[in-house]
Amino acid sequence: MPRHSTGAHRRLYRLMLRLSQTMAILGGIVLTGLIVLIVISVAGRSLNTVLHLGFVENSFPQMAKSLLDWGVGPILGEYEVVETSMPFTILAFMPLCLLTGGHASVDLFTQRLPQNLNRFIDLVVAVLFAVSFLLITWRLFDGMSGKMRYNESTTLMQIPVWKAYAAAFVSAVVTCVVAVYVAIVRLIESLTGRVMLQIGGAEH
Amino acid sequence: MTDIALGVASFPALLLLIFLRVPIGLAMFLVGMAGYYYLTGGMKLTFSVLKSHTYSEFSSYSLSIVPMFLLMGHFATLGGMSTALFKAAEAFLGHRRGGVAMSAVGACAGFGAICGSSLATAATMGQVALPELRRYGYSGGFSTATLAAGGTLGILIPPSVILVIYATLTEQNIAKLFLAAFIPGILAAIGYMLTISIYVRLHPDAAGVRPPVPMRERFKALAAVWPVLMVFLAVIGGINLGVFSPTEGAAVGAAGTGLIALLSGGLSWPKLAESFLATGRNTAMIFFIVFGAAFYNAFLARSGAPQALSDFIAGSGLSPWLILTIILVLYLIFGCIMDSLSMILLTIPIFWPIISTLDFGLNSTEEVAIWFGIIVLIVVEVGLITPPVGMNLFVINSMDRKTPIVETYRAVMYFVASDMVRVVVLILFPGITLFFLRLFGG
Repeated sequence: MPRHSTGAHRRLYRLMLRLSQTMAILGGIVLTGLIVLIVISVAGRSLNTVLHLGFVENSFPQMAKSLLDWGVGPILGEYEVVETSMPFTILAFMPLCLLTGGHASVDLFTQRLPQNLNRFIDLVVAVLFAVSFLLITWRLFDGMSGKMRYNESTTLMQIPVWKAYAAAFVSAVVTCVVAVYVAIVRLIESLTGRVMLQIGGAEH
Repeated sequence: MTDIALGVASFPALLLLIFLRVPIGLAMFLVGMAGYYYLTGGMKLTFSVLKSHTYSEFSSYSLSIVPMFLLMGHFATLGGMSTALFKAAEAFLGHRRGGVAMSAVGACAGFGAICGSSLATAATMGQVALPELRRYGYSGGFSTATLAAGGTLGILIPPSVILVIYATLTEQNIAKLFLAAFIPGILAAIGYMLTISIYVRLHPDAAGVRPPVPMRERFKALAAVWPVLMVFLAVIGGINLGVFSPTEGAAVGAAGTGLIALLSGGLSWPKLAESFLATGRNTAMIFFIVFGAAFYNAFLARSGAPQALSDFIAGSGLSPWLILTIILVLYLIFGCIMDSLSMILLTIPIFWPIISTLDFGLNSTEEVAIWFGIIVLIVVEVGLITPPVGMNLFVINSMDRKTPIVETYRAVMYFVASDMVRVVVLILFPGITLFFLRLFGG
């Protein structure tokens, strides 16, 4: 949580936090959706197997047949839905991890370094993150353009792959916003010597 | 500089960055980029590799198992399963000497069966068990050490997030690795209980006495554990019997624990949102390391350094057992400063090509991969409880401010010793780890 910070900065920080949390919760909702989808598919496949068992076919021929005709079975292409939804989900989790300093690092050797040097490391890391995510987002955009041009889609469900890229791109853009925000805060901190953003140690 | 020399030189450069507190995933990503730049002599190819990686590393069906298992652990806690497990273990073991500590280990093992992470297991069980341990007069350091060690069962007893990562790195079957981890996991729990029993005999004042619980109460407590048992059996049984894939198993498990949490009234919207945030934060951390590692490892493979190293070692005529020992000692040292997942992602692409060419008298490369994976997993987990910097020790100690960390350090050495004994036994007798696989004709 920010300490010794001005009102304007506190408002901006709250905005960033809310943005990151919203993305993470969206990611969580998509993840839950995927879980439900997979469970339905597994249940359908199991029921399908049961309905094809000899004694079930003999004992309840009518019910077994109508259920099977109705389409009880695995969801074909469930695999593709998971694969095309994961990039959005994972990247939607990135802003929160970045803002709250969740990335794993080794602080054993830097603990004894002077505070100024540690501040400087914070700044360099924040800038490197921002540059990396800008790069990643740009490459993702390039990838999306390519998929749009060739109009690629998945085999079974015919999901246009560019849409999966586009969703991931949205998450990546938000990550960039947060990464650039953290980098700017770190820059102001090292210029003014104020502590604006106190990020807790990494949780592994 | 030759390509191989570049690959070799990249490793110390990477370590330097990591030791300067650059997040591990970021460091691997940056060194991988720089390496690619020098190898291919320009940015063009580097960017084109990056283009495919940015999407494909996150779009993995088999790795979608990771957030699902993490969510499952949160749901299990919300559903009161951690409390139920501890109460049941305590009802049966609590009155013995050191019994409350043994119960904590037993509950950790049970919770490990529905949770794939050490730190989560240690933290969750810490909340439940620490107050009880204090109430019955268990000393601070002994209590925290027990829970830190018990937490490592979370990763060892399947499902395990790290085994999923190991499986993708070495192209092994996740289900078989889960199966192989089972006996070593049980041995670990038994070993810890024996350690506790030895500890309380050496330090009689470290543990108080808890009155026994009447039989009726015991079975009542046991009955409360059935949801955990159901979920575990469904997930692990289903995966191993081939009813569903590991990812499907994780989904079924997450749905099951979610349903239990919902029915027990523990799953309100704020709690659900909290679970999403915690799951998301950890997922992002894990996937960023996976992403950085994929990039670094692609560069490393292209440089030819791991292959050259492996050829060199194979040609050196050193005993395979000596090489294995050296590698494990390296893991122990690294385990003291780095988290397990980063370490696996960083080192397996280098060590696995070496190990896979050595002859340990096993039947197939697959057996070597599984046996090596389980041993590495254990050794890496020992790092989590090795003073002075084991992560589990910090997590638990931060929950019990009254206990100085030095006391935790002193007590945890008994558990580290127990781990060492187990590692040696598993190395000398690969048949223990491979028992189920060979039994089921794997």
